[in-house]
Amino acid sequence: MAKDQYSAVTPEIIAELEKILGKKWVISGDGDMDKLEPYSHDEIAEKSYAHLPDVVIKPRTAAEIAAVMKLANRANIPVTPRGAGSGLSGGAVPLYGGILLSFERMNNILEIDKDNLVIVVEPGVVTNDINAKLQDDGLWFAGYPMSVESCFIGGNVAEDAGGGKAVKYGVTSRYILGLEIVTPEGEILHLGGKNVKDVVGYNLLKLMVGSEGTLGIFTKIIIKLMPLPTEAVDLLVLFKDIESAIRMVPIIMTFGRIIPTAVEFMDKLSFQTSCKYLNEHMPYEQAGAMLLIEVDGNNFEQLEKEYETIGELCLEHGALEVYVADNHTTRERVWKIRRNIAEAFMVYSPVQSLEDIVVPVGNIAKILSEIEKIGEKYNILIPCYGHAGDGNLHATPVKKPEMDIAKWHRILPQLLLEIYQKTRTYGGTISGEHGIGHKRKNYLGESLEPTAIELMKRIKRSFDPNYILNPGKIFDL
Amino acid sequence: MKIIVPIKQVPETSNVKMDPETGTMVREGVESIINPLDLYAIEAAVSLKEEHGAEVIAISMGPVKAGLALKEAIAMGCDDGILLSDKAFAGADTWATSYVLAQAIKKIGAFDLILCGERATDGDTGQVGPGIAAWLDIPFHTYVSAIKELHSGHFVVERMVETGYEILEIDRPCLLTVVKEINYPRLPTLRGKQRARKMQNMVWGPADIEARGEYLGLPGSPTRVVKISKPQVARNGVILYPKDDKQVEEAVDQLLAFLEQKEIL
Repeated sequence: MAKDQYSAVTPEIIAELEKILGKKWVISGDGDMDKLEPYSHDEIAEKSYAHLPDVVIKPRTAAEIAAVMKLANRANIPVTPRGAGSGLSGGAVPLYGGILLSFERMNNILEIDKDNLVIVVEPGVVTNDINAKLQDDGLWFAGYPMSVESCFIGGNVAEDAGGGKAVKYGVTSRYILGLEIVTPEGEILHLGGKNVKDVVGYNLLKLMVGSEGTLGIFTKIIIKLMPLPTEAVDLLVLFKDIESAIRMVPIIMTFGRIIPTAVEFMDKLSFQTSCKYLNEHMPYEQAGAMLLIEVDGNNFEQLEKEYETIGELCLEHGALEVYVADNHTTRERVWKIRRNIAEAFMVYSPVQSLEDIVVPVGNIAKILSEIEKIGEKYNILIPCYGHAGDGNLHATPVKKPEMDIAKWHRILPQLLLEIYQKTRTYGGTISGEHGIGHKRKNYLGESLEPTAIELMKRIKRSFDPNYILNPGKIFDL
Repeated sequence: MKIIVPIKQVPETSNVKMDPETGTMVREGVESIINPLDLYAIEAAVSLKEEHGAEVIAISMGPVKAGLALKEAIAMGCDDGILLSDKAFAGADTWATSYVLAQAIKKIGAFDLILCGERATDGDTGQVGPGIAAWLDIPFHTYVSAIKELHSGHFVVERMVETGYEILEIDRPCLLTVVKEINYPRLPTLRGKQRARKMQNMVWGPADIEARGEYLGLPGSPTRVVKISKPQVARNGVILYPKDDKQVEEAVDQLLAFLEQKEIL
């Protein structure tokens, strides 16, 4: 597929879009590229993954979107849906130009149904706002991504976002009960509802969650809610090396009989860089690895027992120190170290590739030692941090400032391939929560068998025969 | 060496809601924490203890739940916690609060140093530390950014002032209020938490500290809150964002006109 296989966005098309949406909500730039530029990229720093749209539209209703999709099919113009643009795989980038569909105006919370523990929202609602709205009712949406301050719920569903609390609460898909969708051909479709159980027919609902905006455009999302845990305690645990830190994950669950809310892992390079960036003065110099372990619940005494059990197990198994953060101030302080790793490395060198591999928990230490070797081989830094509790690691190749940029571009595909191949060797997969988008589509074969890829392509063709919706993502047809 | 650290439990203020009717803070459901600036006093005391040997006692006046702040201080390395809690103490201003804390310190007996935070993040007065020193009739320095030397009869401290730093000598015993620059407070450890949980805070009332009843609580406080009001934002700043040379010229003209209108030019 190439750009010239699509038709251009002509003034006539713009006029038709304006007729559907109103003039105000169709932004064609009129030569001012600054207006379109914000819609050309997501959070991937590397500019080569970006592409400008020809026109940005801001619809308000499913009916408007359906009309736009019918027009796009007729006129052969690609449409790329976009949430807050906080993705990390290029999923919201309009790779072939065309129409960029922004959900920023579809941001209403439609219903809070306390009898059924369900909330119904539009896709442009900021995920954080959902929980802020529910807080007083003692409820929450537990599928918590790390980019919680900015991301839209629609993007979370499209990517099946995970995050820090997946060990205990799972990822987004666990909480999506129903969707209203505009199909790529412009039909409005309803899947699921408020039922907890539903086995009627193929599970198209689950197929939609994580489809990266390639199979349908979500216009309404029905989310299952949970009682909000009122208490949480974090332990920041320093270990002398990676092995002793990672070994704790199964020990906590099997010997401690506790499923923590989060078990975050940081290697030496990650936490040292973040601690220096934050001017955090805890005695981290001796440590080779850190775990950030969270327990939550509704009974503080129970949590005290749980964190004491976990802390004692850590000390028994060679932890250098166990810090306890049980109030807002101290919890913020320890989470800051974890959250600021990416930011801290941006200061050191903005040229990096944030990766998202997953391996079975038992193989984390092995893959980390392989990644270290790859880093040495290519003379780059690869800080590793992420969700040790579920094996999801953000191994992030970072260009050293002194390295020539051309050389970086030359070596990056090769070193990513090596990381992905080693990941496969240890039973892992190339993306746990960021998605494939177009950033990783050339490596799909490292995680999926050819038959699986072929079946997926057939699914895509049956939903989107004209290849209009978000083309060039996950795979090329 | 004996060091006493008076601390305050304050509401965690990062997501505070205000009651629009009364103009006061909604305290319901708000977590209480150690006054963040008191953490620097605790750290200073515990570091002195580690370096030179000392007994560190944290004291706090407040409701029973303020005992949690003392537990956190013990978890950070203080040796003991004393809670001053009684209905008679409630509603105290800085005068009555410093009186109660000073009486408690008298009861503790001989000490070498009292370390306080610069001020509390809720009341924001910075008066209680100096107030305690006044009641005890001992010397004090505020805004201390380093404790440089310990001698048998005096300390040498560095004090932050607007124009730089002062190096000062102060006789023992004395009181210092410390600023953020003095150190990096540690996080409590598991062992510290366990130690704190096993310990019982001592709880003292007015009789224990031989306090004069008429100096206590709201009735004993000379301060009266007459009215609470929100400060009005008086400055309306204008920010200009010129994009090209032409707009820069326009912006300069606007700026000049603005300055003339304000009679600055």
